[in-house]
Amino acid sequence: MKVKEDYLREIKERAEKALNKKAPLGPDIDLNEFYLCSPQEKVNSVENISASLREAALYAGVELGEDKSSATYLQVNRSAVYEKIQDAFQGKLEIMAVSEALEKYPELWEYWWGLVPVDADKYTAFSELCPAEGYFIRVFAHQKIEVPLQACLLLSEESRIQNVHNLVILEEGAEANLITGCASVRGNENGIHIGVSEFYLGDNSRLTFTMVHNWGENFHVRPRTVVKMGNNSFYSNTYVLLKPLSSLQTFPQAIMEGENADANFQSIVFAKGNSYIDVGSSLLLKGKGCRGNSVSRVCAADNSQVYARGRLISYNDEAQAHLECKGILFSKGAEIISIPELEVYGAPRSRLSHEAAVGPIEEEAVNYLRSRGLSREESLSLITRGFLNIDIPGIPDVLRRYVDEVIRLTSRDIM
Amino acid sequence: MLEIKGLGVKVGGEEVLQDVNLEVGTGEVHVLLGPNGVGKTTLLMTIMGMPGYEVTKGDIIFQGESILPLSVEERAKKGIGMAFQKMPTIPGVKLRTLGELIVNESSDFLKEVAEKLNCNYLLDRSVGLGFSGGEAKRAELFQLFLQRPLLSLIDEPESGVDLDNINLIGKALSELLEREQVRTKKRSGLIITHTGYILEYLNADMGHVLMEGRIVCRGNPRDLFTDIKEKGYQECLRCER
Repeated sequence: MKVKEDYLREIKERAEKALNKKAPLGPDIDLNEFYLCSPQEKVNSVENISASLREAALYAGVELGEDKSSATYLQVNRSAVYEKIQDAFQGKLEIMAVSEALEKYPELWEYWWGLVPVDADKYTAFSELCPAEGYFIRVFAHQKIEVPLQACLLLSEESRIQNVHNLVILEEGAEANLITGCASVRGNENGIHIGVSEFYLGDNSRLTFTMVHNWGENFHVRPRTVVKMGNNSFYSNTYVLLKPLSSLQTFPQAIMEGENADANFQSIVFAKGNSYIDVGSSLLLKGKGCRGNSVSRVCAADNSQVYARGRLISYNDEAQAHLECKGILFSKGAEIISIPELEVYGAPRSRLSHEAAVGPIEEEAVNYLRSRGLSREESLSLITRGFLNIDIPGIPDVLRRYVDEVIRLTSRDIM
Repeated sequence: MLEIKGLGVKVGGEEVLQDVNLEVGTGEVHVLLGPNGVGKTTLLMTIMGMPGYEVTKGDIIFQGESILPLSVEERAKKGIGMAFQKMPTIPGVKLRTLGELIVNESSDFLKEVAEKLNCNYLLDRSVGLGFSGGEAKRAELFQLFLQRPLLSLIDEPESGVDLDNINLIGKALSELLEREQVRTKKRSGLIITHTGYILEYLNADMGHVLMEGRIVCRGNPRDLFTDIKEKGYQECLRCER
């Protein structure tokens, strides 16, 4: 049995040793080039949130308003500035700053760094050793929250490190739809966002998680996400990035320990400018009857470079999963590198598969649309939007419309 | 409406059409006949202005003006529309979205046309994705109906289509091309057909046989079709009436 003090001390020691450990993927970032974020004051109403923050939230797909969600969490720089649960959902869920939750519920320490290794790389180590904040969400057992929860993480200060650590717990039979928007405020073009997220899905629970990123052109982003799934649980993770940034590297993982767990990852990326993007997902199929999909749709323009990864690892004979990567190249300087990995250990009856296709946009389709009176630019934009519009399994209509709308809004100037 | 003068066309560097002369008057429907591979589709694609079809000589006059300098979309906006023989697949682009872009809004007209062409259930599917032969033809005509072109270029509307669908398509084409109207016909059509089934619905005004890169024969479409069925296309080359 773990003892809290020993555990936390060990965590700290491991982090200290890993503080200079380069991540195996993505360009190495010198964290000394950035400053820590400042604390911010709380607001008690969305009306008191500044127009520039609201605008930044909107471009990350989050409309801050009392009636837009079942619960809202807004973090600016390193402080939780606004948290609210609508009346109809009181007693069904909790949403608060993770620092507050750790104080309020001391037993939560067992979940802290329970999934993401604290010494995975310098970013996780930094996250532990420097002041972090994030959201804590808990949906109580058997509560089915259809109206989405919103979490928004904004960075308004230049050349800072935003250090986020989120904890989400869905108790047995709980259901929720979580939208997270992460963005820098207009004009803030330089910084780094480290986001550690640990999601615990109880038996028979169901979580759809949609994350939209919208950062300045010189931003580096390093999300570190692990989801642990119980029996018959369902998880859908949709990641949307349509604006240029300096570098992004993320490789979220679902640890499917429960029987019949079902995990689905979708990455929707439009890389522009000099963006270096390394995205993907990893499914660890451990339980009997586990299944899942890892799907990516990538468009690469200008001089961008995109790695689209997928890793399926099966330990169980009855596991089944599929990888799919489709990419469109828009320029000679752009690169798409698709890296599928299928691994089976002691489970010869596992069924893992992958398909990948990378190529240019089909001129036949462009000319077909032009024959209907659309200009070449309109045709390219329409085809690209269609390509990025993945048919996401298991998400409610409201979220499907939301993803469509995000793609529509953010791809207006896609060409 | 349409006048083609001495048209020569190359595709992929190869000469396909050499000297095509053809006129379609306002309110007239003409059919284009010919064996496989003689360039019937090439002619329609060239009139539409599709890239890859290089005009080497001659001219295409539409409504009194040469359209050779115009792009595909400019020709579409001038009133030329095409129902393609093969519909491309455009994943994620719903037929409804494309329809709304053609008519510039989500209108009752769109719903009426979808109803008429039995396309309602196709509206929320990706263009061309998993469409059967009949569905693709109906979806092509759906778009053409929404465009309401002055000149419709229709490439094999009945190929790969069952008898029920031929009936629906035939009636729709008749309506699109205003064949029932007596004096007020404004819309013209140029239709490629291999089977001639569509003639049952259209009462076409003129037929042209395209062979060896030029029009070798013209006349009453039903008579032409009957002769071809009896004697084959080689007779057209020999006879050259």
